[in-house]
Amino acid sequence: MRYRVTHITEYLYSARVSHCYNLAHMIPRSTLRQTCLNNEMTVSPLAAHRTTREDYFGNIAYHFEIQRPHNKLVIKAISDVETGPQHTSLNLDFGITCKQALEQLATVSKPEIHLAKEFLIESSMIRATDELRDFAAPSFDQDRPLLSAVMDLTRRIYREFTYSPQSTTIATPLEEVMRTRKGVCQDFAHLQIACLRAMGFPAKYVSGYLETLPPPGKEKLVGADASHAWISVFSPTEGWFEFDPTNDCLVSEQHIITAWGRDFFDVTPLKGVIFGGGKNPVLNVSVDVARRG
Amino acid sequence: MIQSSSQTQSQISPLLPKELVYRPSGSPMDEVFDANGNTKPHWEVLLNSFHALGSTTFLDRLNKAQRILRDDGATYNIYGDPKAPDNTWDLDLIPSIISSNEWGKIESGLQERAELFNLLLKDLYGPRELIRHGVIPPQALFGNKGFLRACHGIQLPGEHQLILHAVDLIRGADGNMCVLTDRTQSPSGAGYALENRTVMSRVLPSLYRNSQVHRLASFFQQIRAKLTSLSPNQEDPRIVVLTPGAHNETYFEHAYFANYLGLHLVQSGDLIVRNGYVWMKTLDGLSRVDVILRRVDDLFCDPVELRSDSQLGVPNLLTVVRSGRVAIANPLGSGILENPVFLKYLPQISKKLLGRELRLQSVSNYWGGDPEDLRYIVDNIESLVIKPTFRSADTSSVSGRRLTKQQKQELITRIKERPEQFVGQPLLDAGQLPTYVDGQLLPRPALLRSFAVAHSGSYSVMPGGLTRVGVKETSFEISNQSGSQSKDTWIISSEPQGPHAGADEDVAGAPGRDADLISLPSRVVENLFWMGRYAERAEASLRLLRTVFMLLNGEEPISLNCQRIILETVTSVTATRPGFINCSEALIRSPEKELLRVVGDGSSSGSVRSNLNAMLYCADESKELLSSDTLRVINDIRDALSELDIGLSGGLASAPEEALDPLVTALMALSGLAHESMTRDFGWRFMDIGRRLERSLQTTTIIHGLVVPEAPEADQNILLSALLLSLEALISYRRRYRARMGVQTSLDLVMMDTSNPRSLLHQLEQLNRHVRKLPRAQDIRHELSPEERATLQAETLIKLSLLTELSAREDGERTQLKQTLVTLKASLNTISELVSDKYFDHRETSQQLVSSVWENS
Repeated sequence: MRYRVTHITEYLYSARVSHCYNLAHMIPRSTLRQTCLNNEMTVSPLAAHRTTREDYFGNIAYHFEIQRPHNKLVIKAISDVETGPQHTSLNLDFGITCKQALEQLATVSKPEIHLAKEFLIESSMIRATDELRDFAAPSFDQDRPLLSAVMDLTRRIYREFTYSPQSTTIATPLEEVMRTRKGVCQDFAHLQIACLRAMGFPAKYVSGYLETLPPPGKEKLVGADASHAWISVFSPTEGWFEFDPTNDCLVSEQHIITAWGRDFFDVTPLKGVIFGGGKNPVLNVSVDVARRG
Repeated sequence: MIQSSSQTQSQISPLLPKELVYRPSGSPMDEVFDANGNTKPHWEVLLNSFHALGSTTFLDRLNKAQRILRDDGATYNIYGDPKAPDNTWDLDLIPSIISSNEWGKIESGLQERAELFNLLLKDLYGPRELIRHGVIPPQALFGNKGFLRACHGIQLPGEHQLILHAVDLIRGADGNMCVLTDRTQSPSGAGYALENRTVMSRVLPSLYRNSQVHRLASFFQQIRAKLTSLSPNQEDPRIVVLTPGAHNETYFEHAYFANYLGLHLVQSGDLIVRNGYVWMKTLDGLSRVDVILRRVDDLFCDPVELRSDSQLGVPNLLTVVRSGRVAIANPLGSGILENPVFLKYLPQISKKLLGRELRLQSVSNYWGGDPEDLRYIVDNIESLVIKPTFRSADTSSVSGRRLTKQQKQELITRIKERPEQFVGQPLLDAGQLPTYVDGQLLPRPALLRSFAVAHSGSYSVMPGGLTRVGVKETSFEISNQSGSQSKDTWIISSEPQGPHAGADEDVAGAPGRDADLISLPSRVVENLFWMGRYAERAEASLRLLRTVFMLLNGEEPISLNCQRIILETVTSVTATRPGFINCSEALIRSPEKELLRVVGDGSSSGSVRSNLNAMLYCADESKELLSSDTLRVINDIRDALSELDIGLSGGLASAPEEALDPLVTALMALSGLAHESMTRDFGWRFMDIGRRLERSLQTTTIIHGLVVPEAPEADQNILLSALLLSLEALISYRRRYRARMGVQTSLDLVMMDTSNPRSLLHQLEQLNRHVRKLPRAQDIRHELSPEERATLQAETLIKLSLLTELSAREDGERTQLKQTLVTLKASLNTISELVSDKYFDHRETSQQLVSSVWENS
């Protein structure tokens, strides 16, 4: 599928910002199932200096520096992306079992297995606790195929937790998500990653966009789409597989990847240091995912 | 400092001078004696020399050494406690001696180790083959906070990524040197080692000269050469030393290093990234920076990509590093090499990267991340030192045997919670070195920190190092923070050092500082400006207070009204309102408590103590520009300040004015030195602008307070003498006018007489000269700059005043005088604002775009 994604971020400051330095993760990376054909970044006011580079995780990091005073910052990212389905037929009832996967992770010395273990370790926003392990365990029967178990966990998160856009700020601690059983896509992704790591399976955080389809007979609204987040889990024999706990599904062509990392912190869409700016800036984000051809 | 000086006292007067003899303790670990109890040949000469020197001379030399260290400002501040007094660096005069023969082996071992760590650094931030092939467990790298993913792929020019490598060595039970830790973040200690050497060569010149000691100077030249070679810009590269600031524990070394190598000492606020380059903010704008010798931990260097709450960083520094437009040594990310877990896997790492095992042994290491090791740690905690795998300000090593049963249990619980974050190392016996303790030479365990710098295809090792000894005979824990002593380390050559190697070579070999004085960081200049202002402010307050104490204790009774005028002036001059302004009669009658508060209460801004503290802070911040004489005077001020409370404890009854004298004298010495021995560069000019401005302001306030109110003649005379006395003009006045006190003649002397160096007009003329010489944009027009106009206005105001008008009275006060002084004060404040707006850096406070608390958890 071919898409044009338009992602507009706007900060309105309560006081003048004299200059600022920012780092954006807004340019979609190319992956096994996705190619970024074209991207255009527009920053207002005009950036004095900008660079694009591939970061540690292979994501595209966009740095810019603004040296003129401003009260409003607008970043517009327009990307054309070609997506495909995940790399196997994904019959979840085949493939190695949970037990086999754990054995292989413990004993097989292969570069990709060693490297995947980076995603098994505690990261700044995710700590695998006993509570999360207890929550996850029922899905992971020893002899159950790993992917089927992960799908089951995906479904349980979908069913037992309420999607509630108002319920959380930019990032909610997992204990709170567990307690309130509410959250947004980020929280569910963090929760599932923590569960997987607690069970001993490497998992990473994927940020991106999801194409939403209008109700039948209605016109699709521009800007109705949102940035989205889901997870990717590692099978020692088959590689990485993406699941979306917010929508209870395997990731499909409609999921467009921007970046991945250990958690949200590694792929924050926009961060940086501003000089001045006062308190409580107003943030507006709009995303539009449109099919092309 | 207080501690060590009292220690000195006790050393000066030993009851029984003991002979300086070192006797075998029988320990097999003693460095001096061989297995048969015979003194090793290279120690023989040295110990004989000390014996021949005798206790008394030795003490003289020791005191001299401590004086030099103190005058040089050699301190090691206890981390995180701004109130702690400076700790003067503690040097034991008995050097550690290593024979050339043995050193040869150690040196090649250290070179090999530095090579290996360089390869390790390249691999960890490059292909990570060691992880891919299972040589290092992923957790050991990926789980360590010191592994900075943002630094992946960064490359310095040249074949070395690791520029500086320091190693702590200890003598193992088998007699070989063994590595305890590696320091790769921003290794400290080399500057202290050089300072130790400088002091040794000064206090024991003949012993040092005759001992054929390897010199250190060339090692520092190699550091400078290496830093220069890293510059992306080969034409006159600008190299800076980046320090966290004057409160850092090793700030002395940062300033010392910068001075010795002729580099600029900067703090992060002096640097800015703009248009893809790093710049230093200087008086005449931005100057490009090519190389940074970093003394700030890497995690704190860039709040955009690394730790975002860091106040010590330069935003976007990493993007400039990536583009190769600035080089940082050691490179950002190099702190990961200090991870002690790697020591466990070092033999395998070495085989993989070097093709052989290292010659130099490391201490054995048990890592909590390995289940078997974890069991060992828990079972043997008594005999282990437990270290965190990531070193930071809030983590430290603990020795199991020092803990109570309960503490041990708590530690084990903590380890079990996050086992991968701890290692255990066995306690080692250290080599024992003769050390001067309470009049005797006693064996003390020793640790040697060695230093290596990348140099033409390999590493060059400092011939010597920083030796530190434990406090007790058995004390294994040696760190600067537990108050241990240091020693110079002598590598004794078998043949004499070359003809160039005079005794002072290490001292005199320092290259000159860059001549571009205009490119001082604006922060330094600002600090000099404020140093001048605070010094003058304190001096003016002290003079006035001294006068007040004398008058209050004088024979002549003073009327209540007169006393009120004087005391209110004290409050205005020191800006310690409400104080005596409109206060009760009772307070005027017994002003003692408030007056003492104005002198000594450091928490009240405006008090003499708080002004002097502020002055000392500014001096610390611009330390690298101050001469050693100036530093000595600053030490005197610090001493006088700490003794102030004792001097004032007797209250008004015991001539408190005398307690203030040492401070006034020290401040006079400071201004004298600035006048006589500072080069007339912009630093000096700004300091003097600060002084002149402040002196004008204080004089204006004193005249206002004492002369504007109309008073009966008897009171008038007292007020005028108080004015002249506190403005240091009474003697000139009496010589000129005999005993008769007159308002016009007094005002003439303190306001208009330019032959009086304390008169207002003299200050204004000097100010005018200074502002005309400040750097300014090239402009062919002849219009005056705003600060020139403001000074000219102030100067003209006084010049055009008429004494008869100034002294004229109306409704109980001198209105014209009051008007003139108010206008003058406003002009002076304008000048100060104009100068500081134009030349100093006004940083807006920065904040994170997205606040995050996650990274710190």
